[in-house]
Amino acid sequence: MAGILEIRNLKVFYGVHEAVCGVDMDIAEGTITAIIGSNGAGKTTIINAISGMVKRQGEILYNGKPLSDKANRIVKDGIIQVPEGRKIFAGLTVEENLLAGAYTVKDRKEINRLLEEQYALFPRLGERKKQDAGTLSGGEQQMLAICRGLMGKPRILMLDEPSLGLAPVVVNEVFRNIVRIRDEGITVILVEQNAKKSLGICDRAYVIETGRVVLSGTGSEMLNNPEVAAAYLGSERN
Amino acid sequence: MTLQLLISGFSLGAVYALIAVGFAIVFSIFKFSNIAHGGMISACAFIGYFFQSSFEEPPPFIVTALFTTGVGVLMALLIDTIAYRNIRKKQAPGLYYFLMSITVAILIEQILSVFFGKNLHTYAPIFSSTTFSIGGLRFSSIDTLIMVISLAILSALIFVINKTKIGLAIRTVAISPSTSQLMGINSSVVIMAVFAIAGALAGISGVLLGTKFSVYPSLGPSMMTKGFIVSVIGGLGSLGGAIVAAIALGVVEIFLTYWLGSLSTPIVLFGIMLLFLTVRPEGISGRFAKDKV
Repeated sequence: MAGILEIRNLKVFYGVHEAVCGVDMDIAEGTITAIIGSNGAGKTTIINAISGMVKRQGEILYNGKPLSDKANRIVKDGIIQVPEGRKIFAGLTVEENLLAGAYTVKDRKEINRLLEEQYALFPRLGERKKQDAGTLSGGEQQMLAICRGLMGKPRILMLDEPSLGLAPVVVNEVFRNIVRIRDEGITVILVEQNAKKSLGICDRAYVIETGRVVLSGTGSEMLNNPEVAAAYLGSERN
Repeated sequence: MTLQLLISGFSLGAVYALIAVGFAIVFSIFKFSNIAHGGMISACAFIGYFFQSSFEEPPPFIVTALFTTGVGVLMALLIDTIAYRNIRKKQAPGLYYFLMSITVAILIEQILSVFFGKNLHTYAPIFSSTTFSIGGLRFSSIDTLIMVISLAILSALIFVINKTKIGLAIRTVAISPSTSQLMGINSSVVIMAVFAIAGALAGISGVLLGTKFSVYPSLGPSMMTKGFIVSVIGGLGSLGGAIVAAIALGVVEIFLTYWLGSLSTPIVLFGIMLLFLTVRPEGISGRFAKDKV
């Protein structure tokens, strides 16, 4: 099966510093791909490069065609990032945040349908739709950020550290929803420091160290890999 | 008397609001004080005047106003292209935008002074009678017209900002340009929209001020000072705050001028501004511009 996204020799420079040094990845359609690694390994830079948020070198093929390097074009084409730290628009209402996510959707009816879909999945967002999004709890903000991403009708949804700073029960809810999103046919790229949880749900995983892919394989292969266990799963592993 | 003063103050405040909002909307996106807005107002006041005088019989006021608004939009986009685009490309610090806007403001004023500074110019009167009366109260015709036009434009602008797609995009870019990009929002479209709105506001303010007062090169900059006071008191970058503060300033100014005379009034006004800056730097709206248009 040809990948929906093929990344060849991806490089990103910040000034003279090479943050991503020739990464290759194949993302299969309808799967969850986890990108794990420690802080500063270059995980976020990789998805920012896909999103067109940083200048990149190398080749990215999306459905076999070269991917644009303009951020707004990439979103329009269906690759949407839910950024680290949620970055919801505080000062705007919950509903306005969702509408901002649907910026590339032209049809008003379709936008309303998408809104109803999010409210059906997360009734709490529906109850709070007129409320300032900045007043939501961390978990609610994360749900809002994910829903805002879904409002743009992504084919590929890239989630950057969705579990960051959330209570364990909320983390479980977030991961359940990531699986649900995949089951709806949306390809998911998941950047996480919570390696154990993300390896548990992913179909394929890449381990990144100092801007390079050092290991890759299926989620269960990685969970059983002693190197991964030592470096990323720590004493949590059982 | 009080009611007439109130109307007069409201009318003045409504023009200040137009100026302050044109200033505030640029601030909300770029976080710099666009001093060049005053120069654009002067230039538009002149352009409107010369447009009107180029006809044997002055065209209806609405024609002059629409023409000048259109020119204001083009001028704002031109200034953005010439002055600000390169600074944006280089991602230079905000100080450079500020320096550039001062440069553009002085340049416009100097050009106007050299070519048109010798004479005072006045727009053709719109009304045959300068006042009208309702129930024994006399109102200034031009003040009333200005108030109606300004309030209509401000309402339309509030509608655009709060209820349309481009308005939402402007608000998200004001909060976070990079997150807006992740929504697929094209920042250059938003930037052009903001300058176009500011230019349209400069155009209409120029015509209204030119009609109310006379046309001279420092007309815009002197009014700009008031717009500046208002946007600080309103909370920098906040449109709602700017409008409330503008109306309040207009009313206070008219009453103070009535009681103290026009010479001492500015002292009190700037005193109020100083007080606001020390006691409540975030202004009436209560939040700094970084998270709200």
